[in-house]
Amino acid sequence: MVVYSFYIFDRHTECIYSKLWARQDRPISSGGTAARPLSGSSASSGPAVPDVGPARARPTRLSAQDDAKLVFGTVFSLRRMVQQLGGVDDTFVSYRTGQYKLHYYETPSGIKFVMLTDTQTANMRSVLHQIYVNLYVEFVVKNPLSPVEHPGGEGVANELFELALDQFVRGFP
Amino acid sequence: MASAKAARLGEEVWKSRVDKVNAELVTLTYGTMVAQLCKDYESDYLEVNKQLDKMGYNIGLRLIEDYLAKSNTMKRCVNFKDTAEMISKVGFKIFLNITPTITSWTSDNKQFSLIFEENPLADFVELPDDGRAQDELWYSNMFCGVLRGALEMVQMQVEAHFISDVLRGNDTTEMRISLIRYIDDEMPVDDD
Repeated sequence: MVVYSFYIFDRHTECIYSKLWARQDRPISSGGTAARPLSGSSASSGPAVPDVGPARARPTRLSAQDDAKLVFGTVFSLRRMVQQLGGVDDTFVSYRTGQYKLHYYETPSGIKFVMLTDTQTANMRSVLHQIYVNLYVEFVVKNPLSPVEHPGGEGVANELFELALDQFVRGFP
Repeated sequence: MASAKAARLGEEVWKSRVDKVNAELVTLTYGTMVAQLCKDYESDYLEVNKQLDKMGYNIGLRLIEDYLAKSNTMKRCVNFKDTAEMISKVGFKIFLNITPTITSWTSDNKQFSLIFEENPLADFVELPDDGRAQDELWYSNMFCGVLRGALEMVQMQVEAHFISDVLRGNDTTEMRISLIRYIDDEMPVDDD
């Protein structure tokens, strides 16, 4: 199983955390990261993550910031669509393309967790829930130095959280 | 029955997933704080009420995440009655090991009372004997703020206030909670 990236969006629809592990075949340019607390691990994907092959030529490359916006736009629209079709209590769990699978979990407090993995991965909803319970609440919410809201990602990307998240994700089979 | 289910959940979480501290420590800490507030605001009890509510609000904003994590809540409550059950039987249970009684619903199901048979904040407490505290100070007013803050984070705007307190010589300690509205999802800003 390969995890490509992970995003957290707050209830103000802002991306408050994003992290990239293995690169897909679409390298992400380093531009426009000023407002986001991007962890620098995208370039140095560790030995645990296999190389995904040579990059194919793409017409446009997106900045990490635009990436996050697109991801949010996608889950936001999907979520609305799902609710309109299946009632307000319905949520979507994941979707799959030829290239990747997107997993989604939203807490009742409106924090949205998104993880992109390879297409073979099974349902990750419970994993995202665990990240919320064991990492986000423990290391971000209970951190007295972190603000209640996280404009621009302030307070989310602290050392404990980053370390624990990285370990957690690398611990997957 | 939602009520029985909530009670079971609260019991289970309290037993297995909560770190406990000495109740007297909580009581004394809270008491010291209220006493200090009364001193700082020179016995302006209305202001003390306000400050307690504000503190509670800030606690509530964070506490809700801990509540959701501990109780493993994946879904929102279907209606306000459900919310009341969860507040009493899960929320108060897991954080204070009490379950206030829910009562006095209005017919539109938007307002209810919580009766606190026991209140860990108010053990050993006597209100100041200056003739005003009995009428003005809501000693446990922090609870109101906590509920307001916590519910706001799950998109419910509520108003909460105490209407009686055994510390003031009333028969019961009762808090009134009214749902003002459900808050809508925020929309992403157009960045074109």
